[in-house]
Amino acid sequence: MNQTSAHTRTTTARVHAENAASARGLTKVYGSGSAEVHALRGIDLDLPAGRYTAIMGPSGSGKSTLMHCLAGLDQPTSGQVIVAGCRLESLDDTALTRFRRDHLGFIFQAFNLLPTLTAGQNILLPLELAGRRIGATERRRMADVVEVLGIADRTGHLPSELSGGQQQRVAIARALVARPQIVFADEPTGNLDSTASAEVLDFLRRSVRELGQTVVMVTHELDAAAYADDVLVLTDGQISAHLTDPNRDQLVDALRRKVA
Amino acid sequence: MRTVLRASLRHHTRRFVAAALAVVIGVAFIVTTSALSSAARNGMVSGIDAPYRNADVVISEVEGHEAGDLLDQAERDGARAAVLGWIRVQVSVNGRHLGDADAADVGAVADEVDLRWQQLEDGRFPEADDEVAVDNLAAKSNDIAVGDVLTIGRGADQHTATVVGTLASPSAMVWSTVYVTEHRFRAWLDQAFVTGVVWAGTGSTAKQLTSLRAAHPDAVVLSVDEHVDQELSRATQGVDMIAIMLLIFVAIALLTSAMVIANTFSILFAQRSRDFALLRCVGATRRQVLRSIRVEAFALGLAASGVGLVVGTGIGHAVVALIRQLAPGARLGVAEPSLPWYVGAFATGVVLTFAAAWFPTRRAVRVSPLAALRPDTGIDARSTAGRLQLTLGVLLVAGGVAALAGAVVATDVVLMVLGGAATSVGVVVLGPTIVPALIRAIAPLTGQLFGPAGRVATGNAVRNPRRTAATTAALLVGVTLTTAVLTGLASTRSTLDDEMNLDHPIDVAITATEGTGLDKAVVTATAALPEVERSAALPGVVAQIAGIGEVRVVAPTEEARSVLRDEGLFATPSNREIHLPYSVLVDDVVPRRVEVDVDGVRRTLRVATGSDWGEAGVVSSATLSALGAEVSTQAVWLRTDLGADADDLEAQIGALAQGADVASALQERAFVDLQIDVLTGAVLGLLGIAIVIALIGIGNTLGLSVLERARENALLRALGLTRGQLRSTLAIEAMLLALVATAIGTVLGVSFAWVGVNAMLADLVEEAPLTVPLGQLVLVTMVSAVAGLLASVLPTRRAARISPAAGLSLP
Repeated sequence: MNQTSAHTRTTTARVHAENAASARGLTKVYGSGSAEVHALRGIDLDLPAGRYTAIMGPSGSGKSTLMHCLAGLDQPTSGQVIVAGCRLESLDDTALTRFRRDHLGFIFQAFNLLPTLTAGQNILLPLELAGRRIGATERRRMADVVEVLGIADRTGHLPSELSGGQQQRVAIARALVARPQIVFADEPTGNLDSTASAEVLDFLRRSVRELGQTVVMVTHELDAAAYADDVLVLTDGQISAHLTDPNRDQLVDALRRKVA
Repeated sequence: MRTVLRASLRHHTRRFVAAALAVVIGVAFIVTTSALSSAARNGMVSGIDAPYRNADVVISEVEGHEAGDLLDQAERDGARAAVLGWIRVQVSVNGRHLGDADAADVGAVADEVDLRWQQLEDGRFPEADDEVAVDNLAAKSNDIAVGDVLTIGRGADQHTATVVGTLASPSAMVWSTVYVTEHRFRAWLDQAFVTGVVWAGTGSTAKQLTSLRAAHPDAVVLSVDEHVDQELSRATQGVDMIAIMLLIFVAIALLTSAMVIANTFSILFAQRSRDFALLRCVGATRRQVLRSIRVEAFALGLAASGVGLVVGTGIGHAVVALIRQLAPGARLGVAEPSLPWYVGAFATGVVLTFAAAWFPTRRAVRVSPLAALRPDTGIDARSTAGRLQLTLGVLLVAGGVAALAGAVVATDVVLMVLGGAATSVGVVVLGPTIVPALIRAIAPLTGQLFGPAGRVATGNAVRNPRRTAATTAALLVGVTLTTAVLTGLASTRSTLDDEMNLDHPIDVAITATEGTGLDKAVVTATAALPEVERSAALPGVVAQIAGIGEVRVVAPTEEARSVLRDEGLFATPSNREIHLPYSVLVDDVVPRRVEVDVDGVRRTLRVATGSDWGEAGVVSSATLSALGAEVSTQAVWLRTDLGADADDLEAQIGALAQGADVASALQERAFVDLQIDVLTGAVLGLLGIAIVIALIGIGNTLGLSVLERARENALLRALGLTRGQLRSTLAIEAMLLALVATAIGTVLGVSFAWVGVNAMLADLVEEAPLTVPLGQLVLVTMVSAVAGLLASVLPTRRAARISPAAGLSLP
């Protein structure tokens, strides 16, 4: 524990007592009859605000489904999701969409950017979709974010002209620029080499520490999960472990346990 | 490879729907054409021999008076003979005119009973000069029954006759609307159009032929069999001409189909290029992949063409049945399926599909096996026009424009067609450059109007220039042809209108025929009709003209001349002239001078003749005041609203001006208008099929793009694009494509029409100004936009159904 505490400890985030998101009795069933697949089997969880939470698990454990349900990208079969004080199941599709663009930010594994828009346009897209006026405040915030991310000189380029790491940093900038309550990241480093991965993960952590952002990340990589404050381990649609500031060994242990 | 092929056909069926639909429509169009032409041929051919049944010989290519001589000769020789032919004359019942353009065909019932080829339906055959029979189809459509009275002819020739029977006229080649007795018809033979004289003499046919040929060396004397054969081939030729005209439109529809098919295949193959690469990776040779996807195209062609045959047969027979029901006067026969047409249609469909897929398949298999191993960066098939393509396009357009300019200078139609084709092909080749540029040019407007949805739509519309251009090309061709035809016909119409104004300056002329003049009530009542724009009462006198009889003589005032649509030379006679209408002349003899007598005051005036101002002689005001101290209103000239219903207005005026002669150019104008309307409608309807195919193409491209952009759309949804916004993104993209194609097509079409008008009409008339039918063109644009929206309905539904999460987890 001691050797990992150096890069996982923080006290500032602990101050936030309320939950950014919580779920009760969450289930998700795909298909029907013999083809029925239970992706989530009754999940209860609370994601504290101002923390960096990782959801881990092997392929097919339901971790992406859980994130999609938490983020209002998919409808759970049953159960309750409350995000930023709002019960998602009470919203229709349009209201849900509005909620997403006003309160949430997203980073995906691939296909993060629209190929027809420049990096800068991609970053401002959620604001534009929400019909918000892009004023001086927004531009300053974008300038800050791209500066911190080191892509200030790339905003005029099309995604196809950027490297994978740069593309992912653009996606992070897009997720942060609107100051969302939660940023959801789905395997954000899945397509990146180790150097670029480290950069991206480090930046996500800094956004939690320095900007007070809440980040929820789905990953199956131990190295990635090690950056998080909290780690939820998912097995067969259920939470099998909840670790706080885990080190690598604890993570390996938790994952092995459920495999066995 | 067979498992791959089968799986692919099963898996991709839905993606082939649009291409299949394009083939089905094309093939069905051919089969429908075949049904229509077979029905028309059957209608023409059936009963074609009826008029010749009991005759031995037919003498054709004879003038009216020669036909009369032949009848006389038959009487002398003891042979039986009858004239087949008709005159065009005005026939009205209860003030309504029969036939078209103010005249109907009047033929004869043979005196010889066994040479009567018409079949009695009701009543009896006419026997006296004041009796007529009416064709049963004409009787049905004009509500004429036995006992009705018809007014035949105009002016001095006018007489009335009672309908005593209705007849079926089995022959489409020599039928008439009204039949009079042979005796009555002989009086008109000089003006008649004679198709032939049927003859049944004594002795063998060969002997009759020899003697008749000797007696009438200028005429064509044939045995009945030979003549019927000749008529048959003439009738068939006419039908074939129509079939060929229809096939031109079929070819246009097939061309657009080919564009849609080629585009479908190239999009599908682009989407499947990873599959192909994977196949190559696991050991398929390039040839195997090529054969597999060609067989796919072939299978599609076979299936779609088969469906096309069935659909076309259904539509063809339904249309023929409908026409026979609604318009028996069209004389359509029964539609018969014809093997050569079916084989041709099927082969065309298969070959078209296969050929349209040829180049896309070649491009598809050029993918390297390595492509499968590269990470999926999403489909971002950027393609722009190569330099070669650009050069070719510019050369084609430049050559085409030069040829068009040459066509205008040399009034050469062949050069015009070549130039038009080269320019169109050039524009289509330049499409990948022009179309996205135009879409980009209006991007600020789109963004302003539709916000982020508009900006995303613009980006999507221009991201793949080649695909965008290929999608719009089909619609571009359709719109070009449509606007060219619309503008050309509008220009023709206005040119014809000018000619009409020159030929028929007065819309309606009412001339007194009895009493001392026209009643004041007639003048005020006709002037008060809402359709009458201007009217002028003409002062005149009742005169006796030596050798002609009583004629009303009028002098046009300044006011009367202002009613005319043209200067009207007849309305400005010199002081020594009188302008007399043909209809008052006796035996068509034009005297050089006539003596005009009004109550003893006499003047000798030079004669000029003409028509279309009614039954009055026209003199100058000075002559009129010299002739009589007492003038009264003898005529009223009217200018009317040309948009009004001609039949209706004429009937109203006829009722108000009872006892007076009403001469009107309205029917003839209405007939010319109707012909152009029918032509416009027919051409639009036929081109419409090509445009429908083009729109299916737009829907298809959108649909396929939606499949390909599923993840992107899901991403947009995740980031906060609502379902409605996503739907409008696609709708705007469709509208952009449709509108840009329409804009380019309209520019091309109007330019071609200008060239066409100058190259074709300029020879015929002195001045052929281009008339741009703005209203119609705006309508075309609006229809395109709406159709683009419609084309996006299915793709948008599919796109909006997908949940953001499902889209993101797609492979």
